[in-house]
Amino acid sequence: MKFTKFIFSTLNLSREYLESIFSLASKIEQNPENYLNKCNGKILAILFFEPSTRTMLSFESAMLRLGGSILGFASGKTSSSAKGETIADTLRMINGYADIAVIRHYLEGVGEIAKKYSSIPVISGGTGTQAHPTQAMLDLYTIKKAFGKIDGLKIALMGDLKYGRTIPSLLYGLAKYDDVTLYLISPKELKIRSHVRQRLNGFNLKFYEIDDISQIIDELDVLYVTRIQKERFPDQLDYERLKSSYKISPETLNNVKDSFILLHPLPRVDEITPEVDSLPCAKYFEQAKNGVFVRMALILNLLGVE
Amino acid sequence: METVEEKKLIVTKIKEGTVIDRIPPGKALKVLHVLGINDNYPYTVALAMRVKSKKMQLKDIVKIKGKMLTSEESQKLSLIAPNAVVNIINDYKVEKKIVLEIPEQVSEIIKCLNPNCVTNNREPVFPSFSVISKEPLILQCKYCDRLLEGQNLSEQL
Repeated sequence: MKFTKFIFSTLNLSREYLESIFSLASKIEQNPENYLNKCNGKILAILFFEPSTRTMLSFESAMLRLGGSILGFASGKTSSSAKGETIADTLRMINGYADIAVIRHYLEGVGEIAKKYSSIPVISGGTGTQAHPTQAMLDLYTIKKAFGKIDGLKIALMGDLKYGRTIPSLLYGLAKYDDVTLYLISPKELKIRSHVRQRLNGFNLKFYEIDDISQIIDELDVLYVTRIQKERFPDQLDYERLKSSYKISPETLNNVKDSFILLHPLPRVDEITPEVDSLPCAKYFEQAKNGVFVRMALILNLLGVE
Repeated sequence: METVEEKKLIVTKIKEGTVIDRIPPGKALKVLHVLGINDNYPYTVALAMRVKSKKMQLKDIVKIKGKMLTSEESQKLSLIAPNAVVNIINDYKVEKKIVLEIPEQVSEIIKCLNPNCVTNNREPVFPSFSVISKEPLILQCKYCDRLLEGQNLSEQL
């Protein structure tokens, strides 16, 4: 298995590397007891300059389940960044306190700083609107688990494709697979950014940007929904008008394929109604749980343990 | 037809300095701006715009006495006047001839416009871009991935 030191983007991760992480995550999921002491004596630093529930807790859970310890902070306000400390200095300092770090920051390009200034492995827990690679990896793992493959699937991403940091990471991850057909469904204000489109054009990937899910929902294997944020719309009337068109209810899913799955990175607000939760296709809570196995696999890989 | 005066302006030799030839027509003023040549410049500057050219049909030419380009200036010039020829003149002779080419990477001379890019936030890193298209010119920030093109780019040159 190939080891790596920094995970800040899915763009530079090969399909082989992704598959090796998924394979290890699957082994951990099946036999977690085999991994209980793999990180004894190791410390994971949690450097979260922005709020988080799932990402932070699942990284903490992952390290604790591997027998390691955690330290860190959950807000920039309680760290020295509030006094003006740079990310570079924070990372150099944390190098003496921990064996591996996960960082979430509102700034974009943190990965390049980590590569330059950190001697310990660092994983992105989300950077600005740029990337959220571990979310994308757990999304891919969930899809792989459901279908046994990712190649050849028809997948739609719906909602805020412009500001959601998961979206570029998931798209670049999907681009590593063969014959994936992608539908990008969003209001015109929230389409993918030009630099993401430009990157996608460099892959052998079929993608279609549309604004209405009804025309394709019956042929989909996966629908990945993201939250449309109210504050992204200068005119609140536009938001009110659009939000209902991007809402998933049991009626929306009337004619989906038997094997169809519905994913969401969470938190959701009202883009998936609670009645959908009990349908067999609703996999978003399982998806969140999968995050622990994938992050355990990543910690083991970056520490060079497995 | 060029007048005798025009021809004289273009062919008059300078003893020491830089002659930039084959500038895309109309870009000479921008070239002077990039080189920081303004009304306080103490030496002779000759500028010819839309001169007939065998290779380009029309071109601009700039001659600047007493000026040697810095690497930063050359890098900027290559972005606004690709394929222009820089002649370094010493004692009336062309000492060196450089054809400007758009580089693969552009570093430090241009800022990323994304306010959330680490290069705009006191971190110890300098802006750096990959040239992802030469025609039209499009740069991509190596840190935050954002694209810089069109007016946003030309305003910084």
